[in-house]
Amino acid sequence: MQLLALQHYLAIGAILFVIGLIGFITRRNMIVIFLCTELMFQGVIINLVAFSRYTNNLAGQAFVIFILVIAASEASLALGLVILLFRTKNTLDADAWRELKW
Amino acid sequence: MLGFLSTLQPADAGTGLYLIAPTVILILCVAGGVGTFLLLPGRKQSPRLGALLLIIAGLIFGLILFRTVVGQASSDTGPYFWIFSAIAVVGAIRVITHSRPVYSALYFVLTVFATAGLFILMYAEFIAAALVLIYAGAILITYVFVIMLAASAQTVGDRSPLAGLAECDIQSREPFTAACVGFALMGVLLFVIFDKAERLAQFNFTPPAAGLSADELVHGSTQSIGQYLFQNQMVNFELAGLILTVSMVGAIVIARRKVADINQRFEPSIETISANATPVNDDPRSIPVYGTTNPKQKSFPQT
Repeated sequence: MQLLALQHYLAIGAILFVIGLIGFITRRNMIVIFLCTELMFQGVIINLVAFSRYTNNLAGQAFVIFILVIAASEASLALGLVILLFRTKNTLDADAWRELKW
Repeated sequence: MLGFLSTLQPADAGTGLYLIAPTVILILCVAGGVGTFLLLPGRKQSPRLGALLLIIAGLIFGLILFRTVVGQASSDTGPYFWIFSAIAVVGAIRVITHSRPVYSALYFVLTVFATAGLFILMYAEFIAAALVLIYAGAILITYVFVIMLAASAQTVGDRSPLAGLAECDIQSREPFTAACVGFALMGVLLFVIFDKAERLAQFNFTPPAAGLSADELVHGSTQSIGQYLFQNQMVNFELAGLILTVSMVGAIVIARRKVADINQRFEPSIETISANATPVNDDPRSIPVYGTTNPKQKSFPQT
């Protein structure tokens, strides 16, 4: 049984992670920013499952399940915060909260 | 061009370790960075050229990767790996370049499905099912609901591509810097994966579960994950449930909080000491007031 090399999956994971990172930096809509963090999660998950597959170790897949748990709770909390911020300033622009930088 | 590509053959195909020259990675990353910069939402960008650049860079990269498996006897995944990864990458790029958040969320669903397909290729079908259920079924639905809740008023009848979009969706922030940083990181990652990957070779030496057939792998995966979770990760499993409960309560508390009107929030109350009403005296026993611009102001003026 011949398999694709581990490097193929690692490359796809790296590409997804970097695309998510670029989106996280550039986009100004708060919802899209959190969407980009989910994109980075996808890259990390692909890496974990690939290593779990190629080392025949189930810890990677179990860790992916915990990542899904954290992603779900993070999404619910973050979207609640986004709704709160949107009701306060009536915009989704992250730059509207520029004063939080200081 | 093809002769150039033929120099990129796997240097050591027998070990399963594939090498790509750093200059090729650098060229591809520069092309990808320029393409992403042109594709990101902005008024002065030219998306067609950016898409063309990205497609060319992706095709060349895919071709290089593909040449590494062509020499092998048979690949058990067939064309599915290439299809799924192309869909995942294109969907991801559309997530960050589409200016409408609803379409970004929908393209993210596409990426999630393609990733689930990649997991099935890796015999992780429980993870694939969980990914589709949780990500595409639960999280993304929440995202779409929030996008609809927070949508600005759409101008009816306006068919221009930017109609009804807020300023923050039209103009991206620092696209050039972000593309530089991101694709520099991608170049370093790919360099580590493909050029300095001696340690990765030991994973490729031993094909996973060499003694098992594909049927055993497929049928045993979910069961063994369950056994692993409940034997080795019991405390973490309970903690995950606790985290979910806490975050649910927290989300309800946060989203139900009453938002004060921002115009009335900073009105001074009656007790506020205003600077003008306080006469300046120099009674040494009185306490100075902090936070005012009047340096001689006292809190209890002896009037």
